[in-house]
Amino acid sequence: MSKLFPVQEIGSLAKPKWRTKGLRQQLSSQDLSEAEEWAAKLGIQDFHDRAKSILKTANEKERVKAILELSTLYGLRLFETSGVDNDGVGGEQQRVEMYEHVIKAVQGMNLLGHVHSFDNKYFNKGVAESKISRKHPIYVPEFLDVKKYAHRAVKVPITGPYTLVDWSFSGYYVQKQDASSAKTRKIEAKREFLLDIVEEIIRPEIRDLVDAGATWIQIDEPAVTTHPEPQEMELFVEAWNETVKGFNCKFSDHTCYPSEIGYKVLAEYAPKLDKCDQLALEFANRDTSRLGIDEDSREGYSDLKHFVDAGFSGEFGLGVAHVHDFTGNVSSGAGQSVGRDLIESPELVRDRLLFATKIIGDPAKIWANPDCGLRTRTWDVAFAKLANITKGAELAREAY
Amino acid sequence: MSLEIQLAGIHPRSEKLIELTRSYERAKASWSQVEVQLEQETREVIKLQESLGFKHFSDGALGWQDQLRPVTRALQGVESGTRYSRWFDTNTFYQKPIIVGKISAGNIDPKNFLRADLLTKERDRKVTLPGPYTFSQLSENKHYKNYADLLFDIATAEREIIRRLKNEGVTLFQLSEPCLVYQPYRESFRDQSEVDLALGAIRSLVKDSPGDFVVQTYFGDAAPLLPALLNLPIFGVGIDLFETDISSFNEQEKTSKAFVLGVVDSRESFVEDANWIADTARKFSEKVDARQLVLASNSDLKFVPQGIANQKLEALSKASELLEGSG
Repeated sequence: MSKLFPVQEIGSLAKPKWRTKGLRQQLSSQDLSEAEEWAAKLGIQDFHDRAKSILKTANEKERVKAILELSTLYGLRLFETSGVDNDGVGGEQQRVEMYEHVIKAVQGMNLLGHVHSFDNKYFNKGVAESKISRKHPIYVPEFLDVKKYAHRAVKVPITGPYTLVDWSFSGYYVQKQDASSAKTRKIEAKREFLLDIVEEIIRPEIRDLVDAGATWIQIDEPAVTTHPEPQEMELFVEAWNETVKGFNCKFSDHTCYPSEIGYKVLAEYAPKLDKCDQLALEFANRDTSRLGIDEDSREGYSDLKHFVDAGFSGEFGLGVAHVHDFTGNVSSGAGQSVGRDLIESPELVRDRLLFATKIIGDPAKIWANPDCGLRTRTWDVAFAKLANITKGAELAREAY
Repeated sequence: MSLEIQLAGIHPRSEKLIELTRSYERAKASWSQVEVQLEQETREVIKLQESLGFKHFSDGALGWQDQLRPVTRALQGVESGTRYSRWFDTNTFYQKPIIVGKISAGNIDPKNFLRADLLTKERDRKVTLPGPYTFSQLSENKHYKNYADLLFDIATAEREIIRRLKNEGVTLFQLSEPCLVYQPYRESFRDQSEVDLALGAIRSLVKDSPGDFVVQTYFGDAAPLLPALLNLPIFGVGIDLFETDISSFNEQEKTSKAFVLGVVDSRESFVEDANWIADTARKFSEKVDARQLVLASNSDLKFVPQGIANQKLEALSKASELLEGSG
């Protein structure tokens, strides 16, 4: 990217009501009224033809396919209209969510039910019940739809192998271990499970994506900083390097919401990650909501130093907008708190980018992005946040 | 030696309650609908404990959004903040308490800690709270210059919470102190003076009724700290047997303390066999002559779906019968 501070999305957007309902049942024209409203905002020219076709078809498979394709198109246009410089995959409209979408395609794994993540958020947790294999391609059908409609570079986010294993129960893999200590059995099971996920699931998927034309794959590994012990970090590096081996493609890592020393530890191991061109990290969540490029105002970005000190030489995707509920105070000029949302002002985004530049040194290495996918925010809020990130990046560019 | 089984923290919500809370988030269900389901499920958790022969009853803490929040909201000088931090090495998060002023007990509503109204028939009630050391370690301190002051103020404030909960009929308090045994979340290794401070804060907290407290450790090896824990003036000590190797204990250690054995793994879906649980408890008894054994999960069961959590409790109950049957 030639301009400074290009803006990228990280992955998900909320699923529109018509998309969720339409996968389960026939829609009425009333159900599509929200889609019609957004069609005008996003410049979806052929909305009425598509809507007619969706309403007319009695074939469930055709309806679901048309709705997934349309929602993907909407996601792509939302990113484009808000000024984002890459198209992503349209907000991951074709995925249930980052974990379950993959696990459903894995032979040998079973989803057991939901467990608490935080507040009223949960995730469906799977268990390995036998040796695993891939049932069918996971991201390729979505990518083929995206390719049809994307106007700019496409980055394909995929869930990383370490995270898939860490968020699953090892089941079969732990029961087959014979070490006497429970702790050792768990560690050995994790390595075996992880390397199977890499070889049997992730590498075949990347091969298919690259063959289909993917040039940039973002590997989402939020779980990696969960276990900052050296043994676990080495395991992550081993799995990453095995994952990317032999592929001619840009790779980036997205890791968010680390443990207390998570980023410091990730920084130590980041230079060991083969072909890792970018680290997209979450910072806004831990930052203040006041303007300024001094260390106190930008306390949330202090961990960046660790990556620079450790010698990571790639790009940084800088989290400059919060993606969860916000209940704190916002200083004058830094943004607007609306209900449970914070809409960061362009000036706050600018200050975050400029402060990060002071640490990283080279502004050409910095992308601006939300902390994580925006699936927990409404489309109005997601649009407003992305538009302000775009404006904030423009303001930051004025400093150069 | 007597034997008991207990809940050791937050019990998982059912799929029905999960769906309702999600609907509430999407403004498709009212909070009162959630409350009705919460109440019904709390009754079911209590009923399950009755059917499995529990002696101390918990309400399952189904309404707790994380392990710290009710305490955070009962303290003055502490704000909930907006930052979500990872709960140790799990895929769950908690709202990080931000310490912005001198800590003291604030507006304590016992209902936020325990549904005492649903536990009317039961004599002994148990509540799980974060211990002062763990609470302080998982908070962000923006006020205190001296860590000891912070730690002891938390202990004093928690003592007030406990006093209020005793009025609600609580007879057993589990102080969860995973930070005493789990290290990787921090940069510098805990030194002896810090351990002494932590234990001092616990002593301060329990001083009014030491016999009502169990200090529960999990997610780390308790063996190195065990002698110090056993010196605390408390009823019992809890250890995570998936992190602590029984063989590392001294031969035939005798203690007047009760031991809470975290002998089912709250982070693995595999339901432990009752015979294996009983054998493990026997092996422990051969090493440690404890006043009482409590069989429990190693930490909150909220890390597994509810159906599995309930099966794990049933396995504990069967193991307890096996142990009692074998004398």
